[in-house]
Amino acid sequence: MKISLNWLRELCPVALDDEEIARRLTLAGLEVEGTEKRSLPAGVVAARVLAKAPIAGSDHLNLCQVDDGAGTHQVVCGAVGYAAGDVVPMARPGAVLPGGKEIKRAKLRGVESEGMLCSSRELGLGDDHSGLLMLPRDTRPGTPLDALVGLPDTVLEINVTPNRPDALSHLGIARELSALTGVPVRVPAPRLQAGELASSTARVDVEDAQRCPRYLARVIEGVKVGPSPLRLQERLRSCGIRPISNVVDATNLALLELGHPLHGFDLDRLAGARIIVRRARDGEPLTTLDGKQRKLSPDDLVIADDEKPIALAGVMGGQTSEVSAGTTRLLLESAVFEGAGIRRTARRQALHTEASHRYERGADDGTAQLAADRCAELIVELATGTVLPGLIDRYPSPRMPTHIWVRPARVSAILGARVDAAEVDRRLRSLSLEPMDGMPDRRLWQVPSWRRDLTREIDCVEEIARQRGLDTIPVEVPKAGVGETAAAPPDRVATASARTALAARGFDEVLNYSFVAERDLDALWPGDSAPRAMRVANPLTVEQGAMRWSLLAGLLRNLGHNLARGARELQLYELGRVYLAHPDPRHPSGPLSWPDHEPRRLSLALTGQAAKSWTSSPGPLDFYDCKGAIEDVLAALAAPAVQFVLAPIPMLHPASCAAVTVDGAAAGFFGQLHPRVAKAFDVPSQTFVAELDWELLLGKARPERKMHGVPKFPGIERDLAFVVDDEILAARMLAEIQGVEVGGLLELVSLFDVYKGAPVPDGKKSLAYRLSLRAPDRTLTDAEADAVVGAIKERLRSVLGAGIRA
Amino acid sequence: MIDEINRLLEEGRAELASAQGEPQVEAARVKYLGKSGSLSALRKGMGKVSPADRPAMGKLVTEAIARFEALLEEQKKKLGEQELLRDLSREKLDVTLPGRSRKRGHRHPVSQAMDDIVEIFARLGFHTADGPEIEWDLYNFEKLGIPSDHPARDMQDTFYLDPATQPEPPLGSPPTQGAQKQLLLRTHTSPVQARTMLAQPPPVRIIAPGKVYRCDSDITHTPMFHQVECLHVEEGLSMAHLRGTLDAFAKAFFGSGVKTRLRPSYFPFTEPSAEVDVSCAACGGTGCRLCKHSGWLEVLGSGMVNPDVLAGVGYDPEKITGYAFGVGIDRLAMLRHGIDDLRSLFENDVRFLEQL
Repeated sequence: MKISLNWLRELCPVALDDEEIARRLTLAGLEVEGTEKRSLPAGVVAARVLAKAPIAGSDHLNLCQVDDGAGTHQVVCGAVGYAAGDVVPMARPGAVLPGGKEIKRAKLRGVESEGMLCSSRELGLGDDHSGLLMLPRDTRPGTPLDALVGLPDTVLEINVTPNRPDALSHLGIARELSALTGVPVRVPAPRLQAGELASSTARVDVEDAQRCPRYLARVIEGVKVGPSPLRLQERLRSCGIRPISNVVDATNLALLELGHPLHGFDLDRLAGARIIVRRARDGEPLTTLDGKQRKLSPDDLVIADDEKPIALAGVMGGQTSEVSAGTTRLLLESAVFEGAGIRRTARRQALHTEASHRYERGADDGTAQLAADRCAELIVELATGTVLPGLIDRYPSPRMPTHIWVRPARVSAILGARVDAAEVDRRLRSLSLEPMDGMPDRRLWQVPSWRRDLTREIDCVEEIARQRGLDTIPVEVPKAGVGETAAAPPDRVATASARTALAARGFDEVLNYSFVAERDLDALWPGDSAPRAMRVANPLTVEQGAMRWSLLAGLLRNLGHNLARGARELQLYELGRVYLAHPDPRHPSGPLSWPDHEPRRLSLALTGQAAKSWTSSPGPLDFYDCKGAIEDVLAALAAPAVQFVLAPIPMLHPASCAAVTVDGAAAGFFGQLHPRVAKAFDVPSQTFVAELDWELLLGKARPERKMHGVPKFPGIERDLAFVVDDEILAARMLAEIQGVEVGGLLELVSLFDVYKGAPVPDGKKSLAYRLSLRAPDRTLTDAEADAVVGAIKERLRSVLGAGIRA
Repeated sequence: MIDEINRLLEEGRAELASAQGEPQVEAARVKYLGKSGSLSALRKGMGKVSPADRPAMGKLVTEAIARFEALLEEQKKKLGEQELLRDLSREKLDVTLPGRSRKRGHRHPVSQAMDDIVEIFARLGFHTADGPEIEWDLYNFEKLGIPSDHPARDMQDTFYLDPATQPEPPLGSPPTQGAQKQLLLRTHTSPVQARTMLAQPPPVRIIAPGKVYRCDSDITHTPMFHQVECLHVEEGLSMAHLRGTLDAFAKAFFGSGVKTRLRPSYFPFTEPSAEVDVSCAACGGTGCRLCKHSGWLEVLGSGMVNPDVLAGVGYDPEKITGYAFGVGIDRLAMLRHGIDDLRSLFENDVRFLEQL
């Protein structure tokens, strides 16, 4: 809501500067989000054109003699549509127009010009550039234009919260300012004649009193439609409303002043001189003032005449009854419509107007009457004519005022600060609440009609808090629960150690949107067996159209983004939720159930090659870098019984993909990206990814670790290289080595070399192991070690046909 | 004989002193202490000394030999030192060459801030609670005092799910009808408030961190962002406790230098409600693009839990009071690191991420 401070000061004449007004309103909950200083350039004055003559050799320039109050000057002007005798704005030499153009004495076509005559647009007053801005003929030459349009002014942009429709007006803000400063507010008090003439001239029927609790109308005759005075036009513009004509401007001025929407109908264009407030018929057409033909629904409330809808009630008028240049008789509407219905219509028709904005938040029955009278008065002031005696008022069930009991002790208890009865009285009175009954510990208050947001004691507590300022509330730290949260939950500890492990390996953490392009999910896993993504009904872009069921779509886009910007080595991870279109028994059941399943995943993506340094020239990241990262994470969680097996995964390369199991449960997968997927995401074929089920892993994690002492006796190390068929997997070899019964002397087996090629025969490979042997209770002898090594050799020879490489 | 001893000792000392290396030292040893060395010869010549002088002489000779041996050792050590110094001075290393580096990984600033906030609140006695991001209208709006057609819904532009792709509602899930059947992406972490209070009697003291969504994207809004919800409901709580908790949190997160201010505001599920601003870290409060030239950044909406919300979950609002707030984590992370473009948080450009 834009508030002109010149206007505000008329309604509540406070002696505070602009900044102080803005600060006080902000700290009372009417947040000033912006400030606009409006002014006209110095040196622009009203000037009368005395004479006008074409300049020889030019097809459009005229030489004018003008009187600017200080003397007669000659000015060259290229505009059209003015004549001698007109009063127009003149920028004197030295004036700087909006946009930075400085007016100078200059020669045009050899003729000296001592200033410039200006259009509305050239002065930044409006969009009109068709001709000079015409000022009233009785304007005294030399009058600064500032004074004519009521500038300078400061306009505040105030964020009015949805509970405060009463503050969507200059009067509303003035009331707040008055409560904050004690300066009384000057509420407009129009005086109009009572009588019956209006109701005998026009007729109003309300068919749906639920949706239209009150409908007021006044009839005005003999109006002359024309432009409004510049000063009022500027008022409208400063509040973001375009001036149209004096009659329409009057309704908008009353709206901005009082906050109640008004609408003027051309009474002569109302069939039967009649207003019917009713529901629209299904599919009924209406062309609104914005020129759009609309199809209405039976849930829409319309204003109709005897034949057809003429306005979308509370949202926008229709074209057929629009006030036009020839209008002389008016029916002025000031109605109250039910908010939720207006909101539905506005949303259905995608129309958000000054009127609908206010009705949605709640219009006040009381202000409706003031607004009808005030607006009628303004119309007559601006467009002449007379208001017919009498007010048409359809108000079948007048609203009763709200009463609230307020207990000072309760106010104090909620605010945590002592607020006594006298203070409660003072503050509520300043907001126009009126005291009714009293009891020793509480008092009954009547709420003014415009504060429909005040219905309960707590609402009054809030008002008191706002008035006294939130900085008056003391600071008190609640007592901590005894030791309840002293221990970090195991999940948090496990997650932190996994993150540390990933950071140590050089993985950067990313955070992606939960919604991704559906085609990216399809590219990960084409075909019908893929998980079904839930779609966003109203995404901002198709790139955010589907809820992710895998973190990989986002991660692969991250790789692409960074590669395109010159990154050479990327190791990224994300730990976040995926969204699966089925409920899950792990969530609560019944009313507190979750609509879907949102398990966390830990996903990795890596590609490229570290930059060469003077100490090393690393090779490209590969499958085993990915696997190593997973192993580090699992080690950080102390996950038991980890296994990796070759398993086909739709998005992975068939030769380079593995499933991870922990303690027998499927925990995720990893491997090289399938070439098809790599192509779809425009990332290198040597890209490796992993996706792990974080919920499962947390369930298996053992964050508490037991420690034991170091070995007391020396051990023996033996290196052995086996030559075996190429097909035999490392896991099989290890299982066989560890399977040999050696009385617990084999402490550790580590693979330190894998070799193929001469002298190892074709189809074979050599695997070299270091065996660490140790007895817990004695120093191991060479003979014992030899026996163990012999047993292992024999087992691998007999089971796997392994030879020993010398 | 004494003269002879002294002469030999002096001669030997000079010879050792001029020795340039191990061989000369060894030669001197052989010359004086070898089998036919001149000092050894003195010992052998003891027979020629008179028996009366013999003990004294013998002692002198033994002492001379010991002296010489000491000199010998000393010279050996000295030469060794010299040789070491010579060797060391031949070695050269450029200490200014870069060290062998290992790439370090980085946390995302938002997830780091989230963890820190969870830790701070844990110290203040708050448990962590959880809820779904895909929610029913009931918990995101209705239970928080925002019925449909309520203008407060304008404060939070909502993403909805395409009903054709929604899962079937689980058995016994909230009764939903008409438009409310449509699932939405929660617009705040506040639904966890309602879920938690419905699941347990007071006292409740929780935080709920997580992702939230609003249909909005510009310089200060991303369609997804992060919040931490804080809810404390118990007998005898007042707005002073809200301020105390906020104050403790702000001090823990930003340090004592950052200023905060409370401004009255409106949220349907709290009353009285307040916005909490912290002074802008990007400009230090002087005004910049990030803070829309106000010097303040809204980071937090807060208030006393609305009695209607308490009644709606079956608590007695006359007896039980509470406070709640929702912190925008993304903005806190920006403030903390002086990040001036919110969107950079979700571009995941490593040139950005690796600055942390």
